[in-house]
Amino acid sequence: MGSYFARHVQVFLATLGDMVRTPISTINTVVIIAITLLLPSLLYVVIKSSQGLSDGWQGRPQMSVFLQKQVSASEAKQIFQEIQLHPSIELAEFITPQQAIEEFRLLSGSVSLDEELAFLGTNPLPPSIVLMPNKAAAKAESLNELKEQLEKFEGIDTIRLDLDWTERFNAILNVLTRIGLLLSGLLAMALVLIVGNTIKLLIHNRRDEIEITKLVGGTNTFVRRPFLYYGTLFGLFGALVSLVFLLIAANLVEQPLSKLASVYQRQSLLHEIQAMEVLCIIAAGAMLGWLSARWSVAQHLWKIKPS
Amino acid sequence: MIKLSQINKRYPNGHEALKDVSFDVAQGEMVFLAGHSGAGKSTLFKLITRIEKPTSGQLFVDQQNVSRMRDSKVALLRREVGVIFQDHKLLMDRTVFDNVALPLIVIGMPHDEIKKRVRAALNKVGLDGKGGQKPVTLSGGEQQRVGIARAVINRPNILLADEPTGNLDETLSDEIIDIFADFNRVGVTVLIATHDLRQVERLGKRTLHLEHGELIGDYRHASSGSQTSMKNTDEARTDG
Repeated sequence: MGSYFARHVQVFLATLGDMVRTPISTINTVVIIAITLLLPSLLYVVIKSSQGLSDGWQGRPQMSVFLQKQVSASEAKQIFQEIQLHPSIELAEFITPQQAIEEFRLLSGSVSLDEELAFLGTNPLPPSIVLMPNKAAAKAESLNELKEQLEKFEGIDTIRLDLDWTERFNAILNVLTRIGLLLSGLLAMALVLIVGNTIKLLIHNRRDEIEITKLVGGTNTFVRRPFLYYGTLFGLFGALVSLVFLLIAANLVEQPLSKLASVYQRQSLLHEIQAMEVLCIIAAGAMLGWLSARWSVAQHLWKIKPS
Repeated sequence: MIKLSQINKRYPNGHEALKDVSFDVAQGEMVFLAGHSGAGKSTLFKLITRIEKPTSGQLFVDQQNVSRMRDSKVALLRREVGVIFQDHKLLMDRTVFDNVALPLIVIGMPHDEIKKRVRAALNKVGLDGKGGQKPVTLSGGEQQRVGIARAVINRPNILLADEPTGNLDETLSDEIIDIFADFNRVGVTVLIATHDLRQVERLGKRTLHLEHGELIGDYRHASSGSQTSMKNTDEARTDG
């Protein structure tokens, strides 16, 4: 067992040494693999970030309840408390006309609305309540039922259901996810071909060594072992470099995204890669590299026979 | 140790390399395989090491039927048979040590043991202190000695040498053949393909003579140089 392990360590170190001794070709291959892995990783981050945005709304539609303008502050508070107690409501936020105008100011990008307000003579925005129904009430039918129930409350002017927008957004995300999966599959195939071709060239370059090893009693398992290490290491290093590229890309878009996030009252829109996701990318790279090498070795190694 | 029974070998291009060849080589015997280029000597070695399969006939090496051997067993067979080639078949980008150590690395021997064995093998073939050199820095004779060290490092039961003195002068040739004779003296079965009749006569060992793929003689030279027996004589097989 110790000897078996020692043999693997020996081949691993020898393969690593060979890679270091041919830095240009190693770097070329690793960077190509990194770019191939980067594309699906980037798409994953985009999808996750978008899902995060959607999750901000809990993936559920919001309901905006606009109160009548003549409703007093105390009446508005009372309506808010009654609505809050409704069993279908998970979250409710009361927005005063002053808060509404501040939010409008933020969204419109206007520094000051004083002139416009002075022209109107009064704040035209009514008090409102933003509701988030619970999961059970999040379906279209239940939402319409809830809307009808709320409309019966006194002091309510209009109720707006933001159902269409969230549904559309989620549908776009679903399409994006499918495209991501398809792209990942295609790029995984590309990676297999890239690593496979590199291994093919390595096999070709080491033809004499393979022949002689077979002549002195090397088994196929022994002969293919370094090539499997090559594939795995290429995939592993490619994954590590792709993570570096991903960090660089994240840094580049962080600032503009932060500005966008502030519009949505969020700190950040960018999905922060978790340790488990880092491990998954590394494992995927190594696994794909190993599979590619295995495929290439199966294709080409048996053709080399001692002569 | 080696037994061929009605072996025929026809290559895909139609060339008949061996025709109905039968002979036995006993354990511990040293046999010369003589004949001109194209006589079938190399093909015979390829069959014994299962680089090629016979078209028909039976071939046994150490009681294993090589003609019917599964591919997965071939590596084990090759560990029992040390082969020396005329073109040495050395890895020129590796050191002498790496080349000689290869058969031991293949079987997973611990590194310390490999070092000891390689040192001993290099000492045996007269290449002490040359383990760190690349084969390209060695002379033809020295490269051949590296090949011999690699072939014997695994202590095989059988040594096959294909024209081991082909490119060497007389003195070097004698030295190389004497190394094989030394191994034979400790019980290793040695089969040497050569067209150098001087060596055959010098050692007076059993000789199998191939011509155009056929075994035309199985005889023994007395070390004085006189031919003593002819084809398929049992007396000729008492050597070793």
